[in-house]
Amino acid sequence: MTQTLKALGQLALLWAIYQGSSWFAAFTGLPIPGNVIGVILLFTLLSLGVLKLKHVELAADFLLKHLVFFFVPIAVGLMEWGGVFYDYGLTLLLAIVISAVLPLLAVGGLSQLLNKRRGA
Amino acid sequence: MNATTIFCIAITLAAYLGVRRLYLRFRHPLLNVVALGAALIITALVVLRIPYSEYVPAKNIMTALLGPATVGLAVPLYRHRSLLLRSAPAILGSVALGAFLAMLTAGAIAKLGGMPQDVVASILPKGVTIPFAVEIAAIYKGIPALTAAFVVATGTLGSLLGGWLLTLARVRDPMARGLALGTVSHGQGTATALMEGEQQGAMAGLAMILAGIFTAGFAPLAVWMLGLG
Repeated sequence: MTQTLKALGQLALLWAIYQGSSWFAAFTGLPIPGNVIGVILLFTLLSLGVLKLKHVELAADFLLKHLVFFFVPIAVGLMEWGGVFYDYGLTLLLAIVISAVLPLLAVGGLSQLLNKRRGA
Repeated sequence: MNATTIFCIAITLAAYLGVRRLYLRFRHPLLNVVALGAALIITALVVLRIPYSEYVPAKNIMTALLGPATVGLAVPLYRHRSLLLRSAPAILGSVALGAFLAMLTAGAIAKLGGMPQDVVASILPKGVTIPFAVEIAAIYKGIPALTAAFVVATGTLGSLLGGWLLTLARVRDPMARGLALGTVSHGQGTATALMEGEQQGAMAGLAMILAGIFTAGFAPLAVWMLGLG
């Protein structure tokens, strides 16, 4: 029971950070999503020691474990957009394959090179 | 809350838990919880003649906690901070390059293929984890559901072929392999990297979050270069 209450309190804290960051994004008109600002903000608060891991990790770990759940209802929206795949199937396939393979090799190659140079 | 909304939430939970169980049992990249779960729900809605507009209230209730959950990504990032600090230039440099390259190539091909602007905007952030991708796409008038689909397609591709491609390109360094998988195919790539080993998994998780931040930061530049603004 106390664990549940603690998790709820932590959830409220995460929610407050998210809301604050979203308002900040909207207020400043920055082209950065509120959730990205929220991650940077929470990371900064943890790094500065303003918040400790134990203040958020119970709720964060639970939510992250089921993060994928939230994407299921979002993807259901596809039922309105099936035509796009029909109209642009080949272009989409090319765009997705090429834009995955090139960066994959670039990131792998570059970081291996930088790492090796450092190690040598 | 009306009966349809309750029913929609129930089938979504059932689809999620069912496919998740299947995935945890077989661990195959094609048993994707998002793609397969959504396909099952869409099939049910079509068969029962429930239009998407009646699913929307259920969707809004279920995704209410997505924002705080996403902010929670700072926790694994913080836990792995020593890993990050130890090789900061290699990690930040390569993830930044990868995030930018992914956005630019996807956008350029989509644009050359004559896709409408909202679809091009939807494909730009498809290499990063869904909550970031959907929000980044929305800033440039993209369509969340399409972005989610592109993200899943990219993640599935990366987890099916990523490891093999890296081996083919002689990328053997575990850190480099993890970074590449996490940058290009977010959570699905991270799951694959975790199967290769703990170091790969930690790096991939780190890369996934950093790629989201870099993609958000570079998006205005990519949009400008592609002439979408």
